[in-house]
Amino acid sequence: MKRKLLIYYLCFFCFAVTTMPVFSQPGEKQLNPVSGIVTDLNGQPLEAVSVKLKGTSVGTVTDAAGKYTLNTTQRSGVLVFTSVGHDLKEVPLTASGAVDIQLTENQQILKDVVVVGYGTQRKTDVTGAVSTISTKEFDEQPVARISEVLQGRAAGVQVTQAGGAPGGDAKIRIRGANSVLGNNDPLYVVDGYVGADFNTLNPNDIESIQVLKDAASTSIYGSRGANGVVIITTKKGTRNFRVNYESQFSQSQVIKKLDVMNAADFAEIVNARAKGTGTTPPFSAAQIDNFRKNGGTNWQDLIYRNGIGQQHQLTLSGGSEKTTFLISGNFLDQKGIIKNTDFKRYILRSNLTSQVNKNLSIRLNIAGTRLKNHNTGLYGNGNTPVVQAISWAPTTPAYGPDGLPTFVDVTGSVSRNPLDLLNDRLADQVQSTFNTIGGVNYKLPIEGLSIDLQYAVNYLNGLNSTLQGQRVSNNNPSATRSTFEQLTLQNTNALNYNRTFKGVHNISAVAVLETQQFTDNNFSATANSIRFPSQLGYNNIGPNGASVVGADFQKWSLFSLLGRANYSYKDKYLLTAAVRRDGSSKFEGGNRYSVFPSVAVGWRLSEEQFIQDLNIFSNLKLRGSWGKTGSQAIGPYATISRYNTSPVVAFNNAGVVSGIYQGNPGNPNLKWETTTQNDIGLEMGFFGGRLRVEADVFTKSTTDLLLNVALPSYAGGGSQTRNVGKIENKGIELSIGANIIQNDRVTWVSNFNISNVENKVVSLGDLPRLGTGTGVGGGMSTTNEFMLIPGEPLGSYWGLKYLGTFKPKDAAEAALQGRFPGDPHYQDVNGDNAITTDDFQIMGRAFPKTTGGWNNTVTYKALTVNVFFQGVFGVDKLNYTRAAALSGSGDARQPTLNEIKDYYRVGNETSDIPAFSRTYQPYTQSSRFLEDGSYIRLKNVSLAYNIPLSKSANKVSLKVFGSATNLWTITKYKGIDPEASNVGANTDTAIGIDYGAYPNAKTFTLGVNLAF
Amino acid sequence: MKKLPLLIAVALVTLVVGCKKSYLEEDTKALLYGTDVLTTQTGLEAALTGAYKGLGQQWSWGFLHPSANAAVLGGDDVTTHPGSNKADWREFDQFNVPATNQRSGAVYNGCYKAIQGANNVINNYSITVGTKATINIIAGEAYFIRAFSYYWITRFYGNIPLVTAGEYSDTLLTVKKSTPAEVYALIVSDLKQAEILLPNAKRDWGRPGKGAAKAFLSDVYLTMAGWPLKQLDKYDLAAAKAKEVIDNKALYGFDLLPTFAAVFENDPAVNGTAESVFQINGFAAGSGTANATYGNTTMPGEEGGWDDMFAEINFFNAFPEGPRKTATFRTEFGRPGTAKITWQNSLTKHPYYQKWYIKGEILTSSISLPSVMMRYPHVLTIYAEAKARGTAGPDQAAYDALNLVRLRGRAAGTKALTLADGLSATQFADQVVQERAWEFACERTRWFDLVRLERVEEANANKHPDDLKPIGPITKSDYWFPLPYSDVSLNPNLK
Repeated sequence: MKRKLLIYYLCFFCFAVTTMPVFSQPGEKQLNPVSGIVTDLNGQPLEAVSVKLKGTSVGTVTDAAGKYTLNTTQRSGVLVFTSVGHDLKEVPLTASGAVDIQLTENQQILKDVVVVGYGTQRKTDVTGAVSTISTKEFDEQPVARISEVLQGRAAGVQVTQAGGAPGGDAKIRIRGANSVLGNNDPLYVVDGYVGADFNTLNPNDIESIQVLKDAASTSIYGSRGANGVVIITTKKGTRNFRVNYESQFSQSQVIKKLDVMNAADFAEIVNARAKGTGTTPPFSAAQIDNFRKNGGTNWQDLIYRNGIGQQHQLTLSGGSEKTTFLISGNFLDQKGIIKNTDFKRYILRSNLTSQVNKNLSIRLNIAGTRLKNHNTGLYGNGNTPVVQAISWAPTTPAYGPDGLPTFVDVTGSVSRNPLDLLNDRLADQVQSTFNTIGGVNYKLPIEGLSIDLQYAVNYLNGLNSTLQGQRVSNNNPSATRSTFEQLTLQNTNALNYNRTFKGVHNISAVAVLETQQFTDNNFSATANSIRFPSQLGYNNIGPNGASVVGADFQKWSLFSLLGRANYSYKDKYLLTAAVRRDGSSKFEGGNRYSVFPSVAVGWRLSEEQFIQDLNIFSNLKLRGSWGKTGSQAIGPYATISRYNTSPVVAFNNAGVVSGIYQGNPGNPNLKWETTTQNDIGLEMGFFGGRLRVEADVFTKSTTDLLLNVALPSYAGGGSQTRNVGKIENKGIELSIGANIIQNDRVTWVSNFNISNVENKVVSLGDLPRLGTGTGVGGGMSTTNEFMLIPGEPLGSYWGLKYLGTFKPKDAAEAALQGRFPGDPHYQDVNGDNAITTDDFQIMGRAFPKTTGGWNNTVTYKALTVNVFFQGVFGVDKLNYTRAAALSGSGDARQPTLNEIKDYYRVGNETSDIPAFSRTYQPYTQSSRFLEDGSYIRLKNVSLAYNIPLSKSANKVSLKVFGSATNLWTITKYKGIDPEASNVGANTDTAIGIDYGAYPNAKTFTLGVNLAF
Repeated sequence: MKKLPLLIAVALVTLVVGCKKSYLEEDTKALLYGTDVLTTQTGLEAALTGAYKGLGQQWSWGFLHPSANAAVLGGDDVTTHPGSNKADWREFDQFNVPATNQRSGAVYNGCYKAIQGANNVINNYSITVGTKATINIIAGEAYFIRAFSYYWITRFYGNIPLVTAGEYSDTLLTVKKSTPAEVYALIVSDLKQAEILLPNAKRDWGRPGKGAAKAFLSDVYLTMAGWPLKQLDKYDLAAAKAKEVIDNKALYGFDLLPTFAAVFENDPAVNGTAESVFQINGFAAGSGTANATYGNTTMPGEEGGWDDMFAEINFFNAFPEGPRKTATFRTEFGRPGTAKITWQNSLTKHPYYQKWYIKGEILTSSISLPSVMMRYPHVLTIYAEAKARGTAGPDQAAYDALNLVRLRGRAAGTKALTLADGLSATQFADQVVQERAWEFACERTRWFDLVRLERVEEANANKHPDDLKPIGPITKSDYWFPLPYSDVSLNPNLK
C-alpha cells in the first residue's frame, strides 16, 4: 500500500518539476529610475504592491503612500503590478519612466472567503489549518448525506461509512481521536447553530463546508472544539429567479457474498466433525446424495436484494435588490440491500435575507427534516440476518411444510431463522427536526463596528417503535414505543470590528456572548407477552402480559464568552489570537468554568521580494498555531451518584415489582478534558495557482482525559467517570490540487489528500491498563476486545496470538496443555502451559493510521467525468462474522464457509484450520480472526452530460448523469465490507469489529437535472 | 432604529448579570439520589427489590439462566456437548476454567450486585420511618440475600472480597481477599439475623421466610464442616438447625410432595410448590425476568434444543430405577407428534434431563417458572447426613428423613433403611450423599457435595468413553475457579 501512495506522490512531483518554467535574465544598467504611484479605484494609495519589470529580476514594493521607485532606467518592457486582493496589471513602460496606475479589486479573491468560527476571513489571511470543500467537488456525484461529501475530500478527515444501511451511521474523525469516553465526532456548526446534526441537512442546500482542524481555528468553540469543527453554510437566494429540479434513481447490491458451502459439502463436513468429536454423524449417504442432486438453501440469497432508491430535489431561488429567498425541498427514499430495510428523508428549507437599509440586515433560515429508518437499527450484534444467513445450515430448508419459515435449525444455528429476523421484527425510528435561525446585523455608527444578534431554536422529536414477533421472540413477543422531545435554544450576541488603517494594518475582531441550553423529555413503554403481535404489531400495545414504563428528563446549559482578534500587516504578516471561556452545568463549583486560548501566526512568503525573485511560487504561506480546546464529553449529572430506577423483579408468576439499585457512582471532582494542539502548516501555489500543495504537521495532547473507569463487580460494578490520563495524536497531512489540463476544451482537476495520524495513550493515571468492550460478541468475546495501555494506540485489540495448529512435531508441547496435534496453538506468553488471560496481548489496531482520497474531474466540452478513490491503510478488523461461520461459535453450531474444507486432518497437517476434536478450544478473540482492513475503494465514478440547448434557451440547462459508487475495492479483508463495523460512530475505543454489520452497497445511479 | 444599539447593549448586560448564576445550575428533578431515599419505607422496599434484581436478570445476573448450571459441570451428573458452540461449558466439565469464562461470571456479578443492594438496606433500615414490623421483614430479607449471595460466591471462588459497604468509595478498589472463614462468619451472622427478623410465612413466592433462613443456615453449617474449613463441630449445628425446620415444616409452609413427578410438572400457571424452600421467580412478560433454565437449554438438538447440558452416561446407568429416574431423564427424543429416537441413536448419544422440560414441552427459553434454590428434601438430607457425621451418629429421625426421600424416588417395593441394617455412621452418611446425587441430579447440588467431601477427583476418575474427560489431572486448585478477570484486572490485590 505504501508503494502505491509513493507513486501518487511521485506523479504529482514529476508533473510539478517537468513543467516548471525556467527563467534566466541578462541584466541592463540605465541611469533614470522608473517610478510612480499605485492607488485603488477610489484614489486611495495602495501599500505593499509588488512592481516588477517583466522578464527581469528588477522589482520593488510600494510604500505607505503607494509610491515606488524601480532600480532601472530601461524604457522598454512591461511593468507587472501585483497585490493581494487586486487584479494583476501589466503596463508597458513609457519614455517618461513615470507610471501611475489604479488597481481593481480582484472579485475572485474577495470571494475566496473562508467561513471561520463567528466570522469570515479571506483565504489568504487564514492562519489556521482549514480545509474547504466547495460544492464543485461533489456536485457531479449523487451524494445524499454530508458524510459522503466529507469522505476522502479533506486531508485529516477520516470518514468511515460504518453502517452500510441506508441512513446508516457514519463515523467522522478529524485528526484522530482524543477522547476515550467522549464522542469524538466533530462539532457541526450550521449557519451559526452550534451542535447541529448533519443527518438533517440536504447536501444540495450547501454553499460551502469548512473543516477547522487546528486549535487556532477551533479554540473559538472552546469546550466543544477538541474534535475539530465542521462549519456548514447553506445557500442564499439569488436575485434572478431560478428553478432547479433534479431527479435520481438508483439501484444497490451487496458488494459481495461470503463463500459458503453447498448443502452436500456442508453435510459431509458436519459428519466429519461429528466423527472427530465422537458424536453421531447426522447425515446419511443418501441424504448427501440428495443434497448433491437437488441442492440446499442458500440463505444469503434469501436476505439480500437489489435495493431501489430515488431522490428528488426542487430548489426555487429569487428576490430583489434587497431581499432574496431560497426555498428547497428534498425527498430521498432508499431501499436497503437487505430485505425489509429502508430509509426515507424529507427536507424542506427556506432561507431568507433582507438588507433593510444601509446599516441593517436581517436573515431567517428555517429547515424541517423528517427521517424515517425502517429496520436499519437491527444490525448491532450477531442476531442479525447477516450472521444467521451464514449460521443456518444449508441443509435446513428455508420453509417448513406449513409454508412458514423453518422455526428451528437442528443442525446449524441456535438462533432464529434469518427470514424471521427479516420479517418478524420491526425497528422503526422517526425523527422530526425543526431548526430555525434568525439573525439581525446592524452597522454601528463607529466605522468598522457592527453588532450581530442571532437566535436559534432546534426542536427534535423522535418516535422509536420496536416489535419482536411471536416467532422471532421464541414465543414471547414484545413491543416498545418511546418518544423524546429535545429542545436546544441558542443565543449568540456578537460585536464585530473590521478596519484597515493606513492601508497596511488590517484589524478584525469579534467579541461574543453565547448561551446554549438543552432539554430532553422522554417517555417509553415496553409491553411484554403482547397478545396480538401479528394483528396489532407495536401500534397498540395495550393487551399484554406486563408492561414497563419509563420517563426521564435531562437538561444542561453552557454559558460562553469569547473573543478573537486578527491583525495583518501588509497582508504579509498575520496574527490571530482567540480566547473562549465556557461555563458548563455538567461540572460543579470551581471546575465549572474553563478558558481555552489560542494564538496563530502566518507569514505570506510569496509577498516577500526574495521569494518573488525565485519566480517559483504563486503563493507561499507558512503558518503556525498553538491553542487549547476542551471537551465536556459526559452527559449531565455525572457528578451525582443516583439510583437506577429501572429494575423490575418477579416474586410470583403473575407480575413484577419495580425497585431501585445503585447506579454508577458520581464524581463531584470532574473537570474539563483539555486538548492542547500545535500545528505548523505550509501552503504553496505554483504556476499561477494551477498546482496547490498544502502540508500540515500537528500534535494534539489531551490531558485530564475523561474516562469511564470500570468498577469491580464486588464494588457494585458499572463505572465511574474520572479525569485520568493523557492521549497524544501526532500527524501529518498533505493535500495536493492540480489543474492538470486547462484549456478551452478540456480541463482535468485533480485533488489528492493523505493524512497519517499516530495515536498513543500516554498515561492512564494510576491504572496500568484499562479494558473497553463492545458487548457485541456474546459467545464470541471472552473479555473486553480492546485494551488501553500506555504506549499503545487507542483501539488496540486484546486477545490471544494464534500460531496456527499444533503440528505433529509439536505433540509434546501440545500435550503439556492437554492438547493434540491439530488443535489450535495459541502463544503461551508466560510459558505456564495453560492458555489463560495472562496470555492475552495486543493483537492489532482498530484505528486506521493513514487515510486518503483522490478526486478527479475531467470535463470535455459538455461532458464531465468524475473518478474518486478513497483509501484507508494500517488498520485491522476483527472478523467475528467469519469466526462464527468457521468455528461454530456464538449461535453457530457448525462451520459453513468453504474454507473449512481445508481443515487439519491426517494428510493435511499443514492446515492452520483446527482439526475436529474434543480438545479444540476456539478462542475467537484471537489473531486467527484479525484481518488487515486496509482498502482502496473506487468510491465514485460518474459521467454527466450537459445537453446543448438552442440559443434562445440559453438560461436553460439540462444535464443527465449516471454514476456508480463502491464499484471496486482492493482489500485483503475476507469479510463482506472492510468499511462496515458493528459499533456506531460514538466510540473509538471499540471500533473495527464486524459481527453482522450491515455492509455498504454497490450503487448505480441515473439522474437528470433541469435548471432555468 | 437609532435606539437599537442601546437596546441591544441593555439586553446583553441583563443576560450576563441576570441569568448567569442560575443558568448553570443542574436541574435534577428527574433524579433519585441522596440519603433521603431510604428514610421512607417505600424507598427501603424499592431498594430491597433492587437487591433481588442481582439474583435474577436473564442472561446477565444470577440464576434465571443456566450460568450456575454450567459452573457445576465438574460434578459427575451433568456434561455438555463435545463440539458445537459450547466451549465455555466444556471448560468447567474438563477442569480447564480460565478467568475469562463468561458463564460463572453472571453468578459472580449478579450476587455482588445483590450484596451491594442488601448492604444498602442493612446499613440504613434503622433510619427508615414506617411500620416497624414491615421494616424488620425488609431487613431480614436483605440479610438473607446477602448471606445467600456470599454463600454462592465463596463456594465457587474461595477467597473473595468481602464488602459490607452499601455505597461506593475508592477504598473498595484496593480491598484484599477475605478467607472463607471470614466470609462464612458473615454468612452465619446474617442468616441468624434473618432468622430473627423474617416471619414464619414468606411474604411472596420469591421471598424467604424464617424457614428458608434456618434451612440455608443448616446447609451452610454442613458445608463449613467439610472442605475447606473442616469445622467438624458444625455437623451438630447443621443437624440441629435442619431439625428445627423439619419439626416446624407446617409453620414454614414446607412439605414433601407425594410424588417426585409432581415436583417437576413445571406448569407456568403454578407459582411454586411446598417443596420450595427458597426460589427466584421467573416471569416471562417482565423485562429480564423470564427464566431460561427451562426449555431450550437442556433439550437435544433434535428437538430444537441447545444441547447445553445433559446426563453423564455412567451416572445415568448407575441411577436406581423408579419413578424418580423416569421423571428425571428424557431417553427418547422427538417433538410431540413426531417419531421418537432413543438417546443411544441421537446426535450426542446421551440421555437428557426431563426435569427442565416445560409442561406441554413448550419450546422456549423464556418462561414463568421459578429457579428453586433449595428443595425441602434437601433439608431432610442435611439432617440425615449431619446427624450421621456429628457427635451422636444417625438416629431414627435421620433414617426417617433419608427414607422419605429414598422411598419416594425408588421403585415400588424398595425397602426402607433401618438402624438394624448395621450401617456405620460414615456408611449411612455416604448413603445420604449418594441419595442426594440422585434426588438433586442437575440441580446444582452434586458439585458442592463433591467439593466439601473432597471427592471431585474420585467422581471424575472413571468417565464413560463418550463423556468428556478432564484436561490434565484434577487438583485442589480446581475446586475453586479463578476470580473473574474483569475484577482481578481492576484490583491487583485480588491476584
